Amino acid sequence: MEPILKGLGLLLEWQNILLIFGGVFIGVLVGALPGLSSPMAIALLMPFTISLDPIASIAMMAALYCAGTFGGSITAILINAPGAPPAVATAFDGYPMARNGEPGRALGLAAVASVFGGIFSLVIFIAATPLLAEVALSFGPVEYFGLAIFALSMLASMSGKSSIRNLIAGCIGVLISTVGVHLATGVERFDFGVSELTEGIHFVPVLIGLFAMSELLTQSSTLQDVVRVMSAKSLKLPTFAELKKLKGLILRSSGLGTFIGILPAEGSTVAAMMGYNEAKRWSKTPEKFGTGHDEGIVGPEAANNAAAGGAMVPTLALGIPGSGTTALILAALVMHGFRPGPYLITETPELVYAIFGAMLIANFAFLGIGLAGARFFSLVTFIPKRFLWPSVFIFSLIGSYAYSSAFFDVWVMLISGIVGFFMMRHGFSPAPLVMGLILGPLVEETFTQAMVIHDSSFFQFFESGVFIIFMVLTVISLSSPFWPKIFKKKSK
Amino acid sequence: MSKQKQKLNPATNLVAGLVHKIDLIVASVIILAGAFMYYEATLFPPAPNILGDTLNADIFPKMLIVLMIILASIIPFEIKFMPEKIAKIDKDRSISLEPITWKTIVLLIALVSVAEFLGPMVTMFVTAACFPLVWGEKNYVRIAIYSVAFPLFVYLVFNKLLGLFFDPGVLQYLN
Repeated sequence: MEPILKGLGLLLEWQNILLIFGGVFIGVLVGALPGLSSPMAIALLMPFTISLDPIASIAMMAALYCAGTFGGSITAILINAPGAPPAVATAFDGYPMARNGEPGRALGLAAVASVFGGIFSLVIFIAATPLLAEVALSFGPVEYFGLAIFALSMLASMSGKSSIRNLIAGCIGVLISTVGVHLATGVERFDFGVSELTEGIHFVPVLIGLFAMSELLTQSSTLQDVVRVMSAKSLKLPTFAELKKLKGLILRSSGLGTFIGILPAEGSTVAAMMGYNEAKRWSKTPEKFGTGHDEGIVGPEAANNAAAGGAMVPTLALGIPGSGTTALILAALVMHGFRPGPYLITETPELVYAIFGAMLIANFAFLGIGLAGARFFSLVTFIPKRFLWPSVFIFSLIGSYAYSSAFFDVWVMLISGIVGFFMMRHGFSPAPLVMGLILGPLVEETFTQAMVIHDSSFFQFFESGVFIIFMVLTVISLSSPFWPKIFKKKSK
Repeated sequence: MSKQKQKLNPATNLVAGLVHKIDLIVASVIILAGAFMYYEATLFPPAPNILGDTLNADIFPKMLIVLMIILASIIPFEIKFMPEKIAKIDKDRSISLEPITWKTIVLLIALVSVAEFLGPMVTMFVTAACFPLVWGEKNYVRIAIYSVAFPLFVYLVFNKLLGLFFDPGVLQYLN
């Protein structure tokens, strides 16, 4: 009981409340701005939170994550420009509803579904995290290695253009994490005579480069794009009768979203698309989808926000990120000196409850901030790119410099950004690379420990039942991109 | 092959009707980089005898590089088993890079190159003034206001409020 009170008590301090509301505001803002995203905002904010209270910083990032998912829906509905990938499915029916003269109603439905989805997943989050952590406490290095391999294999089914490229990006991320002194032997690896590299490559500048700089370069070729006229009017929350009609769908989508969120590497975008498809499949009026149907907004919105809460479960309980954004939150935990994984809940339980509280506050806060300011947030898309993106560069420059007051990190940020830009052009996503980078040390450490325990015999790993389960799941996960083809052939 | 498939699978992208031309180059770059890293890993000194063979620093990176090379060698053939996805990638990369993107890359490299000498504060002013100009902004009053106001805002928030140290850089010569 004491950690719960301590964790939630932390949120009652005015500075922390201010940080959470700041996180919500930034989240909705970056969510609404096409090109900017919550992972980018978290990557940029991370170095500036070094001087802040660690728990409050993480709580702010969690709030930003929640709000960013909803923020993208505002512009998806009002101007058919999803501010973030999870909002793409919302635009299918949200924008037609806005064009039919009901933008306020579309926003209201999206907001209420998001809040329900968010709260549903938080209940699961607070119930499942300690349980999962308890199970994970019994894991040894072999089981943990199996879990980390399974998490990396999930990159194959992660939303992206190609499963193979996702896996390669993950490998590159893990390989980057091996740069620097090998802790077990003291051997310097891949430093190429550069003294700064002996410490390894700091992940913060890499994250900033991959998310902010590569997007800046992408945006440089869209300077002439004109945003279509928005149709924001006023907000209209759904009536009780409407909600009663939609309650089954909201519950189903929230459950689906939470489940997808809990799966390692899967995120809100997959949840939203599945939420939309399932809403259509279960609907009595599927022909109305795409024309501004209530269910077409509620389904993906409840699912994508539920995925945000769900993704926090493996992140905090196992130290395995549930999505690209939670990989950044995991990085922030490491940066602030926490020990992600099952020990987090035994060593600093108040942090988990503070995150829970912050996400709960965020869910209600974005309902207020997002809806009262819907018109404002849709107007921000009109900020000229010629001023918006130089500002992002300034933040990136200062952010990567601030991490260790070294210009070497600024170079790392820039090189990561340029390389990331060309990788993205050829179908490689930054999220798998980040997951690899964050999981890399865990994979190597557990592999080395397991090899020592089993006298260098990899086959002895299979004496562990849990390891076998993770390997089976890995095979299933790696083969998942081929399932649609196999099932299609069989049905023919 | 249906018309739709032909459209997604342009013959111009294929070598001998089997391998994707651009992806062959992409895969070659990854494989060459992997081979170089593998060679580097072979140069790592062995772990002290007391630690045994298992703990050698090169084992894990080598395994990873081999896996990466195997995966990269599949890339040129991806078009055969997932043509729709590769068509999407082709659509994105078929648009040649605009001159402004190259100019931006040069500008970014130039700014980071001088950042250490100028210091973060002056670099921010220079960035805020140069970037909009390079990106074609013609309203000079707007640029002037932005180039002073935004860096000042960043300085006040991060230096004065959050206590972040800003290296004086070129400003130290003013005294």
